[in-house]
Amino acid sequence: MQVKEIMSKEVISVKRSTKLRELLEIFKDFHVFPLVPVLEENRRLAGIVSFRNLIDSLQSYHSDALKLVPFLDEEEQDIFKVDITDDLGDLVTVEDIMEHEYIAIQEDTSLDEVYNLMKLHLKEEFPVVDRAGRLTGRIGIFDILEAVFRQKGIIK
Amino acid sequence: MNTIFGLGFILFAGLLSAKLIKKIKLPAVTAYLLLGIFIGPSLLKLVPEGILGASGLISNIVLGIIAFGIGQNFSRYHLRRIGKTVVWISVLEACGAWILVTLIFYLILRQPFYLSLLFGAIASATAPAATVMVMREYRAKGNFTDTLLGVVAIDDAWCLIIFAISLAISQAIYAHNLAAFFLAKVFFSSLLSIFGAFILGAFLAIVLSVFYRFVRTPTELLILTLGIVFLNIGIAIWLNLSVLLANMFLGAALVNLNRYSFKFFDSLKIIDSPLFLLFFVLAGASLEINILGKLSIIGLSYLVFRVAGKILGASLGAKISNAATSVRKYLGFGLIPQAGVALGCALVAKSDFPQVGNMIFTTIVATTVIYELIGPLCTKYALRKAGDIIIH
Repeated sequence: MQVKEIMSKEVISVKRSTKLRELLEIFKDFHVFPLVPVLEENRRLAGIVSFRNLIDSLQSYHSDALKLVPFLDEEEQDIFKVDITDDLGDLVTVEDIMEHEYIAIQEDTSLDEVYNLMKLHLKEEFPVVDRAGRLTGRIGIFDILEAVFRQKGIIK
Repeated sequence: MNTIFGLGFILFAGLLSAKLIKKIKLPAVTAYLLLGIFIGPSLLKLVPEGILGASGLISNIVLGIIAFGIGQNFSRYHLRRIGKTVVWISVLEACGAWILVTLIFYLILRQPFYLSLLFGAIASATAPAATVMVMREYRAKGNFTDTLLGVVAIDDAWCLIIFAISLAISQAIYAHNLAAFFLAKVFFSSLLSIFGAFILGAFLAIVLSVFYRFVRTPTELLILTLGIVFLNIGIAIWLNLSVLLANMFLGAALVNLNRYSFKFFDSLKIIDSPLFLLFFVLAGASLEINILGKLSIIGLSYLVFRVAGKILGASLGAKISNAATSVRKYLGFGLIPQAGVALGCALVAKSDFPQVGNMIFTTIVATTVIYELIGPLCTKYALRKAGDIIIH
């Protein structure tokens, strides 16, 4: 079975210019913050935002920029005491916090391959793209488990 | 004290000392070095022989891992993003310190040329961690901060190349005992060493990429990555190539060959911290306090002219690339700390030139401690002057 057969095709995405406040508003009624794809004008995937990047917005620098700094002690910033004002929501955009290094899955990838990638990279969801790198869906661990349970006849 | 007890003691004491030094906002690296000096053979003698004997092993592994990480700088994505200002400044501040320290040591201090060249090459290294900690503490923001961050991230890559070239030249002069050396031969041998390291690194990057297909779990990924890094270090030592360059090229080739290469680098992060701790404590422990007195002129000249070379080079780079006045005036002050890469290069020099090795290494350990203490103050000064932080 291939990813495109079971993936969710309707995915909430944002743009580079989306403000932090707008991003948080979209998901404020969700139980969890999902992996949010960041799209260019032509639906090409430019990056992703996860809850880790939300933590980044409370810290002084994006973790991407500091990745190349050896022996750097981890920032022990208390997110409960961080000194920020409410204009952060308008000042920070998705562009500032999004991750450029991410894993995207091709539509025709097999389910066991995606499952292996999830185990290897300790992730529970991936964006799905077509050959041109345009976003076409999202695949999560539950989509795969559902497919397995369905196959076994446990759910119809 | 047995070896394993000693290892446990070092890790535990290292963690405690890092926690303590954080109270005065200094990086953990400084704590490890000071701890090493205190518990080392010169003072408290608390480091067991077994560990001191293994310091060559530990430093080669750690150097390999550091250089592997530095290779990430050469990803296409990263190279596209860094601007010409960062390239000009980083190249010229590294070369500035290299050339100035070499010339001062050779012409004024009358040291042999091969030794001057080694000191010059080590002087080109910078330790970004202390600089970044200051930026973070004051939440520095702005054009100056961005440029400084870019420069400190990439300049150790230039240092590794400078050091490889200098080491090859120094070895050639030393081995042939030439006053005026055969330029062509020296040039050829350094080229061969760099080219060999490149071929080795690139080859193992391909092997790693191929085997990645069979990896299923994070544990397997860690084992595979570490295995390849060790193989690369081992083959480089065996073939007499630069361990530092071979691993930098492994990282550089991997980051361009494999889309998910960041996973390899991330996987090593799980285990590298205790190794780094050991490396720095052992570096501190190798400081020979009894020869420090004799090194005062050399140490002082190194301290002053490395900084002068960096400030002049950075300023020249900023001028050529038309950077802002604040960058031209103050960026060099953010480049003062030195640590892992400088100590690593000094260790290589120590093992390749046993007669002068202790003198080089002790000078670098002592100056590292001083730079790590004054570096953050200078960075703060630069950031404030550039207007990227406001201190009341």
